[in-house]
Amino acid sequence: MNVHQHNLRMERIQHRIFWLSAALLIGLGLAIWGTLAVGAAQFVLHHGLNRTLLGVDYNPTRGQFGLLPFFMGSVSVTMLALALAYPLSLSVAAVTVLMGKRAWLAPVRQGMGALVAIPSVIFGWWGLSAVVPLIRQVSGSSGFSLLAAGLVLALMILPTLSLLTINAFARVPERWIDGSLALGATPDQTLGRLVLRSVKAPLIEAGIVAVGRALGETMAVQMVIGGQTLLPHGLLSPAATLTTELLSDISLLPPGVEGHHVLDFMALSLLLIMYGLVLLVERIRGRAEV
Amino acid sequence: MNSPPDLIVDRLSVAYRDQWVLQEISLTVPSGRVMAVIGPSGCGKSTFLRTVNRLVDRMPGVHLKGQIHVGSVEAIGDDVDLVGLRRMVGMVFQQPNPFPFSVFDNVAYGPRLEGVKNSSRLRAVVEHSLKQASLWDEVRGKLRRPASSLSGGQQQRLCIARALAVSPQVLLMDEPTAALDPSSTAKIEELILALKGEYTIILVTHNLQQAARVSDLIAFFRDGRLIEVGSTRDVFTAPKREETEEFLTGRYE
Repeated sequence: MNVHQHNLRMERIQHRIFWLSAALLIGLGLAIWGTLAVGAAQFVLHHGLNRTLLGVDYNPTRGQFGLLPFFMGSVSVTMLALALAYPLSLSVAAVTVLMGKRAWLAPVRQGMGALVAIPSVIFGWWGLSAVVPLIRQVSGSSGFSLLAAGLVLALMILPTLSLLTINAFARVPERWIDGSLALGATPDQTLGRLVLRSVKAPLIEAGIVAVGRALGETMAVQMVIGGQTLLPHGLLSPAATLTTELLSDISLLPPGVEGHHVLDFMALSLLLIMYGLVLLVERIRGRAEV
Repeated sequence: MNSPPDLIVDRLSVAYRDQWVLQEISLTVPSGRVMAVIGPSGCGKSTFLRTVNRLVDRMPGVHLKGQIHVGSVEAIGDDVDLVGLRRMVGMVFQQPNPFPFSVFDNVAYGPRLEGVKNSSRLRAVVEHSLKQASLWDEVRGKLRRPASSLSGGQQQRLCIARALAVSPQVLLMDEPTAALDPSSTAKIEELILALKGEYTIILVTHNLQQAARVSDLIAFFRDGRLIEVGSTRDVFTAPKREETEEFLTGRYE
């Protein structure tokens, strides 16, 4: 066998390996979607959507599967975190990029990068040892609450969000800012009418990425939210989210047990929401590039 | 029509941190005239221009001495109303810098800052400014198109229209044709000649022929100092200083 034939053969083998790895990955992904979809379908066929999506009583061992408290928990915790972190990240970006503090840019980026690297369990631990006691002291409640979860999540998504907003602001060329100031715009007007307007798409994208991060977070939230399956009636109520309830119930409802499919349904819901967010980001990105 | 103000620069010095980039500049641009500022790269021409509308404040560690009188308004000092000054003193940059908005929104940017919301008034200002910048005939009916769809020369005239829309009395032009092709350059030069009289204009340029074609006065800067100032004809035909002659004949730079 000459060298050329040998090479051709090796190449064919390589091609097969690449093809197989790709197929394996796609197959695994489809398998996850498939398993969850089958389980979720069984769950929906058995219990219907009304009593589950809109139900408020959750007691899987007694056949009650009201999931509204968890959807509410996920949504409120995410919104709270975003409402706290988004304005802060915009301020960070405005100060570092626009207010003549470009020298701060590299250190701020590095600092934020270091914060991104902190594992979520550490944020949860900080929440447990600092945020929860503080809320307990101020409000007199147990401290485990939506508010605690929102605060912990806000701090957790702040670095990612700030990096994204800084990058968005840094895309605005200096000569646009010069042009705006030269027309007699104040720095505030330049920020509002030029900068925010010209990077609207990347800013929305940053928000969606942050929503995804907050919505999917499990450990840090679980440690401070209180794990209460009732519909929350205020920011100080303990609650649960889709992710934390999944985590809590996995040991209670292993595969094969009656009611296990509720977990499939919750997981599929999460997956669909996240996938929706990804599609949304791609759409905004596509439109911004036109 | 009121005549535009004289611009009187009185012993102006500018330093970044502890390095002087302009020293003891004194000159006068009479009402409605065009002064071309020429000189080798790095001589402080752009800094001079940016000092008149105080954009130079954006540089960290900048320090100003002396005074610039724009008519009765003083431009140097801690309590100067920068917004008022910059509305009075418009600026056009080396790179056309339209905002990423429509043609209309670019020109309307300044008036809107002043709080003009009435759409028929905005339309009138936009049309008038575009006509002044001789761009109207090329963009009428296309005002909603993005400014980036215009050619480089059109973008620069758009930026001139944007500056004119806030009714300044002085125009600063920082090498406005440096990034443009010859025919676009010719249009901008015609425009400067048309605006002369109505505005007091300072034009920084690297192009000596351009300075000769459009300016009434020449100021020659070197190493942060004003070497010579005089009428364009005098400076070009009979420079008083040897440095000026060296520069004009290409022996320096």
